[in-house]
Amino acid sequence: MVFSSLIFLFAFLPVTLALYYIVPGRKARNWVLFLLSLVFYGWGEPVYILVMLFSIVSAWGFGFLIGRHRESSPKRARAWMAVSLSVNLAALLFFKYANFFLSNLRLFPPLTDRISLIEGLTLPIGISFYTFQIMSYTIDLFRGKTEVQRNFVAFGAYVTLFPQLIAGPIVRYRDVDDQLTDRRETVPLFSSGVRRFLIGLGKKVLIGDACSRVYEYAKGTASFRATAVGAWMVMIFYTMHIYYDFSGYSDMAIGLGRMFGFRFLENFNYPYISGSITEFWRRWHMSLGNWFREYVYIPLGGNRKGKLKQYRNIAVVWFLTGFWHGANWNYILWGVYFGAILMLEKTFLLKILDRLPGFVRRLYAILLVGFGWILFSHTDLAAGWTCFVSLFGIGTEAFCTPTVGYELLHALPLLLIAAVGATPWPAEIWNRLSGYRWCGEGAVTDTGEQIPFTDTVLTARGKVFAVLTTVGCILLLFVTTAYLVDSTFSPFLYFIF
Amino acid sequence: MKEKVHLITAVFFALFVIIVGLAFVILPDRDFSPEENRSLALFPEFSWERLADGSFSSEINDYFADQFPARGLFVGVKGIAETLMQRGENNGVLLGEDGQLAVRRFRIYKSRIEHADDMDYYSPDAVRMNLDGIAAWVQSSGIETVTVLPPRSVDVCSSAFSYPREISDALYADVSSLDPAAGPVDLLPLMRERYEAGEYVYLRTDHHWNGRGAYLSYREIMKRFGMEDEILPEDTFVYEQVPDFYGTTWSKSGLRFVGPDTLEIPLFGDEEDRFETVCLSERTVKGEDGKPKKSLEPYKSFDGWMNRDYLSEKDKYGALLDGTHNIQTVFSKTEERERLLVVKDSFANLLVPFLARHFDLVILNLSGGVTDASRFAEEFGTTRALIVYNWENLITGTYPGNLR
Repeated sequence: MVFSSLIFLFAFLPVTLALYYIVPGRKARNWVLFLLSLVFYGWGEPVYILVMLFSIVSAWGFGFLIGRHRESSPKRARAWMAVSLSVNLAALLFFKYANFFLSNLRLFPPLTDRISLIEGLTLPIGISFYTFQIMSYTIDLFRGKTEVQRNFVAFGAYVTLFPQLIAGPIVRYRDVDDQLTDRRETVPLFSSGVRRFLIGLGKKVLIGDACSRVYEYAKGTASFRATAVGAWMVMIFYTMHIYYDFSGYSDMAIGLGRMFGFRFLENFNYPYISGSITEFWRRWHMSLGNWFREYVYIPLGGNRKGKLKQYRNIAVVWFLTGFWHGANWNYILWGVYFGAILMLEKTFLLKILDRLPGFVRRLYAILLVGFGWILFSHTDLAAGWTCFVSLFGIGTEAFCTPTVGYELLHALPLLLIAAVGATPWPAEIWNRLSGYRWCGEGAVTDTGEQIPFTDTVLTARGKVFAVLTTVGCILLLFVTTAYLVDSTFSPFLYFIF
Repeated sequence: MKEKVHLITAVFFALFVIIVGLAFVILPDRDFSPEENRSLALFPEFSWERLADGSFSSEINDYFADQFPARGLFVGVKGIAETLMQRGENNGVLLGEDGQLAVRRFRIYKSRIEHADDMDYYSPDAVRMNLDGIAAWVQSSGIETVTVLPPRSVDVCSSAFSYPREISDALYADVSSLDPAAGPVDLLPLMRERYEAGEYVYLRTDHHWNGRGAYLSYREIMKRFGMEDEILPEDTFVYEQVPDFYGTTWSKSGLRFVGPDTLEIPLFGDEEDRFETVCLSERTVKGEDGKPKKSLEPYKSFDGWMNRDYLSEKDKYGALLDGTHNIQTVFSKTEERERLLVVKDSFANLLVPFLARHFDLVILNLSGGVTDASRFAEEFGTTRALIVYNWENLITGTYPGNLR
């Protein structure tokens, strides 16, 4: 099930909330979350519930062994950690990467006919996310940063928790371990969650999906009339699409979490205003960056073992980051591309960038990010390259055609909204006008700082804005519902042809 | 006290979701949507196997979407939102001056296996194959043929939109390359000129032409057949005005604020009853020699060429020839006349009242996949043929390429 569907909004969510708040006590509520998350997960592909349960049970079980040996025999604990991680990674490797490896082996002529792909192997939804979450438990347990979770339902609820199950953020176990057994649902938390959820929903459906349609169209025109403007539209609207889609999803996850009393870390921090790629990756999908830093980069030695090793570590992390995004060469190259830029920035580029004016730095960063998205969005590398060189008019038929120009002109209001919305301005202006921190309240930054809720007695203006904020969010829900209904509205008109 | 402010959001959200949820539960399920002209999904049958293979949940999704309360209202809201965003279109339908609508994006045919959705560019190769199919059939059948390829609304009504003519003009050039032996009729400049002069040649909310547009083509067809002297003047006909027509383009657009069309149906007094329309289906039966053979059997017939029941429903254009049937005849009941084979899509349905004054018509629905025209020409002894196939079908399908 996805959040941006009618059945989630008007059936699953209200039923889950009602059940959750009707049953008394932490244990029963965790049961509700656990079981309904399984329903949420299994909605499309019930069979893969078993894969996920297997991962959960094994990590939970091995957790006891790691915990038992942690103090007395670290070697044994380490061995059990290795076993636990291997079991989990094996599931990820098999389901996500097996056919990628096989299809690459088939490229060698002697093997072409001897190896066949595994048929019917589809990727279990969210496996990349929940595998990483489970691993954070296992590793932190071994490191003594968290304690054994004896309660299976609490652990199961952590992994399956439907708000973050499918597309993150990747919640580290130790960030929520206390909340699993001891959290307090409050009205401010719940309501700020509702607002956050609705804003995320609007971001995804109204802006993200709309940008995606322009992107799809521009991409489609390339096979008829390749134009430079069309290629720029592909890049720009994909850049907007993926930000609004993904950050909208994270907003929804964070908001939903709050509705059930959880406080997740932020996952995006206006990445497109970055002045360098280094900064970009501190602002984009932060939970993934943190995961790789903590569980790969630092264990490899980070930057403490000399420059050479540091570059090797950066290379490893970015290869893996790319590969994590998908079992395809374009994702690997995409990761390597950013790894290379980060190395260059570390060596000398950052020093140069620091001396340049702000807008030049931002232009530099957003262009490199945009080029990256071209690579990311083309699983066919040749097509990606064609699109990239089209930006510079190489291989194109025209700079622009009237039709492509028309499409761009009529997508400009959308682009303007998308661009402004990707900056902190709208939130800052709203907060300043209202005199309260409606936007960003309750956020938990990646350093663990908790931004408080608006919880003072409001002034008259504040009251007006309290109502405006709520009405705005409900209006957003109304319009989003209209878009979702329209997308299922499929007139069958060709009866009379 | 302090939490009251926060309570507002929670209460509003709960109200919205509960009202919609209750409306969903209380309102009765509908099994048909006239706006979309399709059956709606009903609550699916449950079984454990269907749950396990995911088909139950997928059908529940459909059920939920199809039976969602106030679908029409929400679709309209989206249309308004897109218009406020200056998109100039919704669901691939352009909104022009005077409420003129025109489909801009199609599911075009790219190659033998591939379609592209929501595209306004088209594949010249696909058009070429269709045109070649028509030319080849005309050549092999040896029947005197006239071919009418009606342009789309977006081509004819281009002056109502700021949308560029680039693609229309390219498609016009491609279509104009049809082999002269196929008797092509040049329509676009004529229709455009009349449209720009304010004549009601094409409908505003539907993808078809209106009565007057059909009359203009009728005249061109007669000229092509060398029957210029027999053309009936336009005042021979009385256009029956059918108001409140919300056509297919209107449905697709979701632009609910656009007003209705008046469908103009040419009539000629009481004389319609002189004709009879018969709908036929082909079945395979055992012949006298024991071998299977094809047999044509009537399954529906009516006087004239119109089913008036449709005029009070949403699909008013469906009144013409009783909507879609694959094989039909419109013959005179009183006299034997020359027979004309009409290989067509639905644009031809509005040509019937004009053509039936001159010919007995044998009508094959090419857009429904009836491609073995020669066999029917022989069976009915038709001496002339008319092909009517609009540009949208030329870029989205392949049937003319299969004409036999």
